[in-house]
Amino acid sequence: MRFVRDRSVTIPITDDRLEAQAVVESLMQVLLKGLRAIQLYLPNNPVYQRAVANIRTAFEPVWEHTTELTLQVAETDLIWEGTAVLEQDTKSESVAWILFKDGIRAVTLLPGAEDEEIVRFLQVIQQAKTLERESTDDLLTLLWEQDFQTIRYDYVELGMDEVPQLERSEEQPEVKPADVRQEVEEEQPTETPKGIVTVDDFDATLYFLDEEEIDYLRREIEREYKQDLKDNVLTMLFDLLELQTYSTVRAELLSIIENFVPYLLAVGDFHSVAYILKENHVILERARELLPEHRQLLEDFPAKLSEPQSLGQLLQALDEAAVHPTEDELGELFRELRPSALETVLAWLPKLTNERVRSLLYASARRLAQAHPEHLAKSLEGDDEGVLLETVGLVKELKLPPVVPALGKLLADAHVTVRRGVVDALGAIGTPGAMKQLEQALEDGDRDVRIATVRVFGTQGYRQALNGITAAVTGRKLRDADLTEKTAFFEAYGMLVGVQGLPTLIPMLGVRGVFRRKEDPETRACAAMAIGKIGTPEARDALERAAKDKDPLVRNAVNRAMQESAR
Amino acid sequence: MTEPRASAGAGRRSIADTMQSTERVLREGGRDLLVQVYATLRSLKLYPIENEQVQRALDELSAAANALLAIEDELEIRVAGEFIFVNATRLRLDLDNFASFSHVLTTLRQSGIGVMRVDSGAERREWQVFISLLLTFAAREAAPNKLFELQQKLVQGGVARIVVEPPVESDEDLEDEEKAKEVAKRTYERTVAVTKEVVNSVRAGRSASVKKVKRAVQGIVDQVLKNEVSVMGLTTIRDYDEYTFVHSVNVTIFSVLIGKRLGLTKLQLYDLGLAALFHDVGKSRVPLEVLNKVGSLDDEEWRIMQAHPWLGVLTLFGLRGYGEIPYRSMISAYEHHMKLDLTGYPKSIRPRELSVYSKIIAVADAFDAATSRRAYQTQPLQPAEVLQEMWENPRRGQDPVLVKAFINLTGIYPVGTCVILDSYEVAIVHGPNPDPAQMNRPLVRIVVDSEGLGLGDGFVANLADTNDGGTFARSIIKVTDPDRYGIKPSDYFV
Repeated sequence: MRFVRDRSVTIPITDDRLEAQAVVESLMQVLLKGLRAIQLYLPNNPVYQRAVANIRTAFEPVWEHTTELTLQVAETDLIWEGTAVLEQDTKSESVAWILFKDGIRAVTLLPGAEDEEIVRFLQVIQQAKTLERESTDDLLTLLWEQDFQTIRYDYVELGMDEVPQLERSEEQPEVKPADVRQEVEEEQPTETPKGIVTVDDFDATLYFLDEEEIDYLRREIEREYKQDLKDNVLTMLFDLLELQTYSTVRAELLSIIENFVPYLLAVGDFHSVAYILKENHVILERARELLPEHRQLLEDFPAKLSEPQSLGQLLQALDEAAVHPTEDELGELFRELRPSALETVLAWLPKLTNERVRSLLYASARRLAQAHPEHLAKSLEGDDEGVLLETVGLVKELKLPPVVPALGKLLADAHVTVRRGVVDALGAIGTPGAMKQLEQALEDGDRDVRIATVRVFGTQGYRQALNGITAAVTGRKLRDADLTEKTAFFEAYGMLVGVQGLPTLIPMLGVRGVFRRKEDPETRACAAMAIGKIGTPEARDALERAAKDKDPLVRNAVNRAMQESAR
Repeated sequence: MTEPRASAGAGRRSIADTMQSTERVLREGGRDLLVQVYATLRSLKLYPIENEQVQRALDELSAAANALLAIEDELEIRVAGEFIFVNATRLRLDLDNFASFSHVLTTLRQSGIGVMRVDSGAERREWQVFISLLLTFAAREAAPNKLFELQQKLVQGGVARIVVEPPVESDEDLEDEEKAKEVAKRTYERTVAVTKEVVNSVRAGRSASVKKVKRAVQGIVDQVLKNEVSVMGLTTIRDYDEYTFVHSVNVTIFSVLIGKRLGLTKLQLYDLGLAALFHDVGKSRVPLEVLNKVGSLDDEEWRIMQAHPWLGVLTLFGLRGYGEIPYRSMISAYEHHMKLDLTGYPKSIRPRELSVYSKIIAVADAFDAATSRRAYQTQPLQPAEVLQEMWENPRRGQDPVLVKAFINLTGIYPVGTCVILDSYEVAIVHGPNPDPAQMNRPLVRIVVDSEGLGLGDGFVANLADTNDGGTFARSIIKVTDPDRYGIKPSDYFV
């Protein structure tokens, strides 16, 4: 028996050719549907999966008729044994045309193609349909990469008709055999001549690579595919930049690197960007005869990083990356950010999910904000609540007076959560200007904002707010307020007014005579807390007198106030 | 159309599945079998038959054969060119097995065996007799009736289930060989044309067609994988077009051939081939008056010439149309004149470890450049001398393991070498001897007879063949310059 499994033969096993043709035509229609499904759906979609299953089923009857299916490719038709089995007249839709235009003239499918390769084949066709004109690939290059075992294709090389052919050299003039013989004889050596090579000249084991050598080669190949190619190329670019003093060469190298940075950012290669930034410094320090314009270009590279789109890409990639650069690399990247990056950084800080990236970026934002508060103020002009909160938080931490006017503006019109943050930030800044801006917040519509504000005034001893607070404490404004708000106002009042407030507060606490109308228990309790904040002997005396008040709320408040006062 | 059977679908699926899994089993099992044949041959050569190692090797050989015979009724091991097929499935060479395969291939050839059939039920004892006879017959001198004698001995030794047959070379095979040569030639022509187009486009500041470059390299890889002998012969071409173009293609072929020996995958061979084709692309930016200057270059001209590796990097950055930046090609363009210790050029400051692809390309480049006639090298060196120099001179700074792999590929007399034989015949080396032990006795094409008469296409002779007296029929006594005899080696490969 001779094995001819890989020979190309078609064996008709039925006489009914028409039925066979119908089966092939049916397969073509199923393949077309499959192509559409691949175009429209993802592999996990049921429609996609059904289409693939249908393709496999449609192959079964084909293999009843033939051991391989060879389709000739015409411009818009696929032809099987002389008959068109798929006709699509519109070229833009024609599968045959996609194959034909790139030079494919026949496709042969073998049993087993339906298992997996036919889907990859259709995917490649789909990919080829969408290739741009200037793409570096065509259908042939894509098919080659797939290395199909059960799908073969024949093609013609297009556009290579003019290639000159390799020909034998022209006939040499006949040389007399005797002359040739004489020449050969003259060449016969009397001793070992130059040019004769013997096995002894070589290592006897030359024909065999030993285990160690094979291991070495295997490691080398592994290293080849593990190396960071971009790093390698960047290393050579910086070597060249450092060593080549020709200004035109340096200009070209700088242009390459300049164009490389956005590309690297776009693909999220922050490691390489960090490397460029590091080597930039090295070149600036070490390169000889660097022209001023080249020096300027090198110094300007980091600014590219701070452009919103590039930086946004970088931060997004950093946050989503499975493998992160080292802290040093991140530090290197972020250290180079320019003030103009602050807005983008602050916009990204609330979105980052990776805590390490976030904390490093925050440190960078802190540095930039401290050095350039005017850029921070710009960030406070936006309306993104997340960004505003992040910025306000940073302001609170850094206590930056220059942004006070911007904060004041936010108190007037920002969302309540932002306003609460602004109160804290202004309180942290604590300058008279900040306190002045804060005054408006005493009238804020939000209870929490008011409470925070009045507490700031109390703790900061901002006496300019006393009038407003006095009015609230002595008037009707707090009548409907809850206990917490009332307490905050009374305590602030106590802190600001000092001993002069006792004539107002002691009667409110209700310790003078049994006939005087007492305030409600909440007001009395708040008055006790305010007296506690005053903390003088008179104040303590007043509290002691009320220590055994019948009302438990008042009694508790008095006790707490006394404890506080004693501290 | 026949009535579909109720279970036709399931039946067909299982047939298709079986075909695929059978092929995989044959490929893997066939590889095991060949490795076991090699191990048994080697241990039997070193130790007597009773030795425990020999016995264990025989056990494992018998088991490997039985494993295959459990799924196929019969095994056909066929030698075709440089490949071994097991039941029509070609075994793949890789780094782990190429030396073993090469040894088995040679042993079979030396015994005159082209096809070996093993029937189900082949016993361990039969394997023992067969391997012993194989060793004996492979060591014998070449004789026309060698295979017949072996067949007789097998019968006498009671070996009924292992049968050997002569090589099969049908008219169809010969026709295939001619077609293969033609395809290799066309691939070569196209690759030279594409290289020329790229280099000229760069010179003119135009964009080059990257698709064509890709196709060309893919074509070279296909040819190296399917048609190694033909494509290697084409590297003898030296003056088909401008040196730079032909040289780039030759370096690509040699590099991919080495890569194949090292067991690289098809896609890795493509990466290597692309890097090799572009290794000298920087020369497109070297002024033509320097590039084509006849005679020696002055210091300034050498300095310009030595810039071509890094000019290649700049050129590749500038090649428009690249979807992906060809980093690997840049690295090889940059490194191919660097020595292992990073001397050479260009100078390196930052830490660097040479890429293995750069080192492969450096070996291929050095060999092709030294054996070619160039503007500033009017007298090329003979291929064998170049190999010897590459092997022996560490100052060349090439990776010795890769040089060894290269010699492994070409033999010590590379294809195209013109030699004088002790028979007073003039010959061109046609290919390395398939028997590694005969590395200094290549296959040669005799083109001038002992009387000095030109023989046209001549004929191929194996210099390992012996005459009746047991001495070699022909031996090389000298490597010569083919120009002396008006011979152009590439004519015999085109």
